[in-house]
Amino acid sequence: MRVGSRLHRLAYFVRDAADEWRHSPGVNLLAVGTLVATLFLAGLVALVLANVDRHLDDERGSVQVHVYLRDSVEPALRQNLFLELTRTPGVAAVEYVDRDEALRRYRAWAERSAELVEEIDSNPLPASLDVTLTAGPGAERVGDAIVAGLVGRAEVEDVRYDRDWLARVEALLAVARLGGGALALVVFAAVVFVMASVLRLAVHARREEIEIMLLVGATPSFVRGPFLVAGLVQGMVAGVVALLGVEAARRGLTGWLGAESLALLGLATARPLPAGAAALVSAVGVLVSLSAAYFAVRRSV
Amino acid sequence: MIRVHRLCKLYPGGVTALQDVDLAVERGEFVFLTGPSGAGKTTLLRILLRQEVPSSGQVLVNGRNVAALPAAKVPELRRTIGVVFQDFKLISRKTALDNVAYVLNVAGLSRDEQRRRAYLALKGVGLQHRATAYPAVLSGGEQQRVAIARAVVNEPDLLLADEPTGNLDPDLAVEIMRLFREINARGTTVVVATHDRDLIQRMQRRTIVLERGAVADATRATA
Repeated sequence: MRVGSRLHRLAYFVRDAADEWRHSPGVNLLAVGTLVATLFLAGLVALVLANVDRHLDDERGSVQVHVYLRDSVEPALRQNLFLELTRTPGVAAVEYVDRDEALRRYRAWAERSAELVEEIDSNPLPASLDVTLTAGPGAERVGDAIVAGLVGRAEVEDVRYDRDWLARVEALLAVARLGGGALALVVFAAVVFVMASVLRLAVHARREEIEIMLLVGATPSFVRGPFLVAGLVQGMVAGVVALLGVEAARRGLTGWLGAESLALLGLATARPLPAGAAALVSAVGVLVSLSAAYFAVRRSV
Repeated sequence: MIRVHRLCKLYPGGVTALQDVDLAVERGEFVFLTGPSGAGKTTLLRILLRQEVPSSGQVLVNGRNVAALPAAKVPELRRTIGVVFQDFKLISRKTALDNVAYVLNVAGLSRDEQRRRAYLALKGVGLQHRATAYPAVLSGGEQQRVAIARAVVNEPDLLLADEPTGNLDPDLAVEIMRLFREINARGTTVVVATHDRDLIQRMQRRTIVLERGAVADATRATA
C-alpha cells in the first residue's frame, strides 16, 4: 500500500476514533478510568521501589569498614596497618581517627541527646582506621576479605563492617520485585479483561454499524482500525494522567511530611519517578489498552 | 453478470432455503426477484453478496465464483456490488454525506474526492440539501435515497436491492423505482427482490419467481 494511502487511512482512523469518543464518552471514560487507576497504583509502587533502590545505591557508594584499634597499639604498628590497608586493592581511602576526634564526632552526632553527652566525663572511644571501599559490585567482597584478614590481630580490638542490614533490605527488595512483577502481570491481565469487557460494550453498541461497514466492502482491518487507534490514544492518555497523579501524590506527601517524622515514607518518595520507570508505566498502559481494544473488537470483526 | 447453477442452501435442522436454483442475469439487465415470504429471495441475495456460503452449486458474479471466494477477497467482491436494504442500514452517527462517502473511504479515495463524489451522488437522488443531516432526522424515503446514493456512488457493476420499498408508502416506492431505472440506464445491472406485485406490474421488467426455494418462472416479463 502506498504511503499516501496509509496516511489517509490513519487520518480516517483518528477522525473516526475521535468521533466515537464524542458519541459514547461514558464507556470510553470508564475504560480509561480503570486504566488510570491501575497505572497510578503501579506508578506509586514503582516510585517507592525506585527511591529505595536509589537510597541503597547511595549506601553502596559509601561502604566503609571501621577498624577499631587497641589503646596500647604502637604508632609504628598503626602506621604499618594504615599502609597495608591503603595498598589493598578495592580500597579508595583510609582515614585515621584518633580518640579525641572520635569523641568530637560522637558529640556532634549525639548533640540532640544532651543528657547522654553530658554524662560522658572520660573518653571511652577507641581510635580507628576508617576504610572507604571503592563503590561497585566488588565492594562487599573486598570488605569481607578485609574483615577476615584483621579479626584476631593483636593491634585490632574490633572490626565493624555492618552490611547485614543492606543485605537484608536488598533481599527484601528482590522478593518485592519478583512478587511485585508476578502480581503486576496478574493485575494487568485482569485489567485487560476488564477493559476489554468495557470496550466490548462500545463495540456491541456499534455492531450494526460494523455489519454495514463490512457489507459495503470494508476489510476487517479497516473496521478494526479506529478501535485500535482509540485504544492506543486511551493508553497514552491514561499513562500521562497516571504519571501526573503519581507526581502530584509524591509532592503532596513530601509537602505534608516536611522534614519531620515518617522518615522511611519520606525516603520512599524523596525523588520523582525516574524517566525509565515512567516510560515503562506509559508503555504498559499503551500495551494494556491496545490489547483490550484488540480483544474487544476481535469477536465482532 | 450473474450465473447460478444448481444452487442449494440448507440450514442446520434440515431447513431448505434454496433447492437446485438455476438462473442467469445479463450485464445491464433490470430484474425483479419475487415470490412469497420464505421463498428464498433474501437468501439468494445474501449468497450473491457472500453473506452466506452455498451448501452446494455454483454462483458466478461478474466472473467470480462467489462460493469459492477466499474470505480475504470478499471485501473486494462487495466493493463491486451496490446494496440497498429494506431497513436502509445507515450508520446513525454519520451524516448523510459521510454515510455515502464511507464506501469511497473504504476504496481508498482522498477525503476531498470522497466528499465531492458523495455530494454528487446525493444530488443524483435529490438530497444534496440534506447532506449534513443525520439519519435520525431523515424521513424513511430520504433514508432510502441516501442508501441508494451510497449503493451507486462507487459506480458498481451490480446493484442488489432487498425489499427496498418495503418500508415506504406507494408514492415513495415509485420514486425509488424511478431512481433504480435511471441507475440501470447508466449501465448498472439491477436486481430487486420484492413481493410488491403492483410495483413489478408497473415497471415492466423481467421477473424471476421463486417458490419454496426453487425457481418457478425465470422468463416472465410482466405485461
